[in-house]
Amino acid sequence: MIRRGRPTSFVLWQVTLSTLAILVLSFALRATPALADEEDDIQRQVDTQKAGVPDLEHLDTQHAARADIQRLRQWLGEAWDLRNKHDPDGAREVLDRSLSQAELIRQIIAASQAKAEVAAREAKLQKTKLSIEQTKQALRDTQAKKKSLEPVLGS
Amino acid sequence: MKTTIKTKRIMTPRFVRLLAVPPAIALWLGACATPPKPAALSTYEALQHDRNLEETRRRFPDLVASAEQFGQKADQEWQSNNLDDSTKAALMAEIKLRTALARNDQARAKARLEVLTTEQARADDDLGDAKKDLESTTEQVRLIEQADQDKKKLTQQIATEQDERQRLTQQLALEQKHAGAQLALRTAETVDAPRYAPSDYTAATAMMAKAEGEIKQGAVGLALTSLEVARTRAEKSIEIAKPLYEQAAQATQNKMRDETLARDAAALPAVAVRLERRGELQRLVIAIPNLFVKSQTTLPPDKESSLEPIARLIVKYPSYPVQVVGHTDNRGKVGELIALSQSRAQAVFSALVVKGVEARRLMVSGQGPNEPIADNKIAAGRAKNARVEVIFLYH
Repeated sequence: MIRRGRPTSFVLWQVTLSTLAILVLSFALRATPALADEEDDIQRQVDTQKAGVPDLEHLDTQHAARADIQRLRQWLGEAWDLRNKHDPDGAREVLDRSLSQAELIRQIIAASQAKAEVAAREAKLQKTKLSIEQTKQALRDTQAKKKSLEPVLGS
Repeated sequence: MKTTIKTKRIMTPRFVRLLAVPPAIALWLGACATPPKPAALSTYEALQHDRNLEETRRRFPDLVASAEQFGQKADQEWQSNNLDDSTKAALMAEIKLRTALARNDQARAKARLEVLTTEQARADDDLGDAKKDLESTTEQVRLIEQADQDKKKLTQQIATEQDERQRLTQQLALEQKHAGAQLALRTAETVDAPRYAPSDYTAATAMMAKAEGEIKQGAVGLALTSLEVARTRAEKSIEIAKPLYEQAAQATQNKMRDETLARDAAALPAVAVRLERRGELQRLVIAIPNLFVKSQTTLPPDKESSLEPIARLIVKYPSYPVQVVGHTDNRGKVGELIALSQSRAQAVFSALVVKGVEARRLMVSGQGPNEPIADNKIAAGRAKNARVEVIFLYH
């Protein structure tokens, strides 16, 4: 019963849809070059940051930033997904956050290395103090021995 | 369809519809209320309680301020129910604040490292000083111990030398004792102790053998004693044997001398020589006949010279006492004959003294006719009896 005759409203609806489709398509076709450039730029940034992740992992000898590196990977993946979904703004936002995260990771690694060095130096100092104590004890023992031997020398 | 719906509306009781009102109101109120706080915001807020936050704020104010700005934005977005934006801002706030805290950790570590460097340097100095002191004291102890060891070694060396000296002294004493005992034994042998003092000599020899065995065994003390005993016994044997030996030797010597004297006397011309024993005394008698003319007491010159060999014989054997005894035959009075014989002996005595014989060796006597050596009845007998005898008295 419907196919027997198309109402005017339906036609108008189809016309409107077609017009919108043409407009969207024309807009899309006109906007594509700029979007492609931005996506390329995002891709480069993502690649650059991804390339830096193994370096960070390598630097993280203390495994102090393992979870943060994992989170960075996740966010870089997220940025890549957003880029693929043609959401450059979202991707850039995630990339900015990833940059900050990478800086945080570097600082955490540097801090952990510094702490490790402190611990090593503390240990070395402690060892030296122990050596001092042992040497002083040995000195006291030797002095006592010397004192006990002096009468022998004098006689 | 419409009929059915209508039927349903009719069938729905009013109280049931009233029951649906409160949940709807609740839903409406819920929609108007603050949504649950995003996890990122909670994490950020937890970070704000970090004990190092104030120190971090002093060191890195810009970074902390940036974090707080993000935190405020996250809170606002949350209050505005924009959970997604709130989360994003909270994440940034968290990152900024953690970055600040990490840098603060680095600064703290750096400061601690500086302190540790200073302390390490001081500790190294202290350790070096202590090691030097220990080394010095150890060296002193080593020197003292070395000195002590040297002293002990020296003491031991002195003791060894003393022992050696003592051993040598003992050895010397032993050798001296041994030589003394051996000398005593040899001396004993020279006086023929085996013959004259056999028990002491045998004991000395046995003790000497024992001492030599003890010397071989190294029993110096025993050997010394044994040698002393050997020497003593040997000396005793000498003491016993020596007079006997000397006596025997003297006897032998005397015998030999007597024999020589007898041989020499026998060689004298114009004399009769005989050996005779009177009691313990043995004597060599040289009878000189025909010295005097009848009843005369003066020696004729030719006869006097015949006394020369006899005088030499007396001088040659100076140890013999000599008697000059005059004898006569039996013609005449005995008293006169004795006087005659004594005068004649005196004349011979004088002649011998003149010829060099010591007067004190000579004893003069006259026996007259009392000791005839031949028959006075015949002239040849009386000629033999009228004689002067020079008599060597044996010991």
